[in-house]
Amino acid sequence: MAATSAGRVLTLCRQFQNAFRISTTLSAQQSTVTLTKGRSYPHRLPSTLLSSSWSCNLDLAVQCRPLHTTISRRGLEEFFDIPENWGEATVKSGAPWTAKQLRTKSNEDLHKLWYVLLKEKNMLLTIEQESKRQGQQMPSPERLKKIDRSIRRLDTVVKERENALRLLQTGQERARPGDWRKDVFGRIYWYRFREHALPWYMNRRYKRKRFYTPAFVAPHLRLRLEKYLRAKTRKQKKESENQAVLKEKFPQMQAKSQ
Amino acid sequence: MRLTAFLSMAAKAAFPHDYRFGTNRPWTIAAKRMNPPGKKRRKVFVEPIPYDEWSVFRGDTVEILSGKDKGKQGKVTQVFRHRNWVILEGLNTHFRYIGKSANYRGTYIASEAPLLLRDISLIDPTDRKPTEVEWRFTEEGEKVRVSVRTGRIVPKPVVQRRDGIIPQQWKDGPKDTSPEDTLEKTYMPSLKTLEEEVMEKLGIEEPRRNQKSYWY
Repeated sequence: MAATSAGRVLTLCRQFQNAFRISTTLSAQQSTVTLTKGRSYPHRLPSTLLSSSWSCNLDLAVQCRPLHTTISRRGLEEFFDIPENWGEATVKSGAPWTAKQLRTKSNEDLHKLWYVLLKEKNMLLTIEQESKRQGQQMPSPERLKKIDRSIRRLDTVVKERENALRLLQTGQERARPGDWRKDVFGRIYWYRFREHALPWYMNRRYKRKRFYTPAFVAPHLRLRLEKYLRAKTRKQKKESENQAVLKEKFPQMQAKSQ
Repeated sequence: MRLTAFLSMAAKAAFPHDYRFGTNRPWTIAAKRMNPPGKKRRKVFVEPIPYDEWSVFRGDTVEILSGKDKGKQGKVTQVFRHRNWVILEGLNTHFRYIGKSANYRGTYIASEAPLLLRDISLIDPTDRKPTEVEWRFTEEGEKVRVSVRTGRIVPKPVVQRRDGIIPQQWKDGPKDTSPEDTLEKTYMPSLKTLEEEVMEKLGIEEPRRNQKSYWY
């Protein structure tokens, strides 16, 4: 068990994920805070530095007269790939984040990773649009798929944690309230609530919605039920006929039927 | 319908229930020529083999038990699970012309025909004879193929990944996370939501409360 798990961990180690070297330049303090994945986070918290510098900036802005300056172009280069990859036909990229790996990360790490992935996705979408505009192939389009999967898995992990906490503290299974309601056609469905500023008895548009079945629809309900039952029986019969033919053709193994 | 559900529906390929799968991939022109939208062909019955009991993989060396090339051993290049087919390299071939045009008669090539799983048998690694293979668990708990006759493990074939990456020779790129960082566990379970924790860390204080809203 130990040997194979170590082997699996080793192969995991060799699959690498996307991260980004974020560098922020703060004009007020004339200092550069570089966040590199390996060393600084989560132990160092440069975010506090950031917030203090932004508040410093605001104070300065309030005290000075508004002055028109040239548009700052810092950060626009993050919409494009690193200069080494310009003009390459393929760009190599590691494996996407798996949900198992993301579950071991703290909320703060996930929060940072989300924005890292978002920026990477924006960069790839820019490249895609630019290659479409120039009528050329996008280099390594599988990167977009990997980023998409990582983002979805991150969202899943965050939702799982939210769900667990909500279940524990309130016992509510769903994040968004809803109700089982009947529509005009007699079908019962899960109606998801929406947020409104007015109560329902003052909302004219809501009062026009009909969550009941009018009397003249009743005969159609029975007909619809009959249709559904007929289709179901037909499907079951077809399935059993199929099984009989398969059994006749392959008498030896009839382990599981599709 | 929800937008995400609609998009995923569009992304997943939808086949009619009587679609006849062939050797060509469904999105190719040849497959579309063989399966035009309105066609109806006699149904092909495929022996149902459960997903967990499938024993033949790409890169395996197998022996043919019946057919033109009976008794020969070859490497598996393609596996078609929906029809229980296996294509071996250079075996069970028939000849045809490819790239025919008005003046040119085309290149005469040998193309392999698929073989059913019934006519294939995995080979015991020691005595190189065809055997029946079962899935069994090792002491470590790994699921392996074991030949019934001798009890030897048939190892899983090493196949190159489709993207050409060899995991042992991988070097990190500038945007890749190192393995130590990936596997580092930083999660401390707490009774705070992500938003509350992040606000605490960033020192954001939100004294404003939501206005009363109605959910219905």
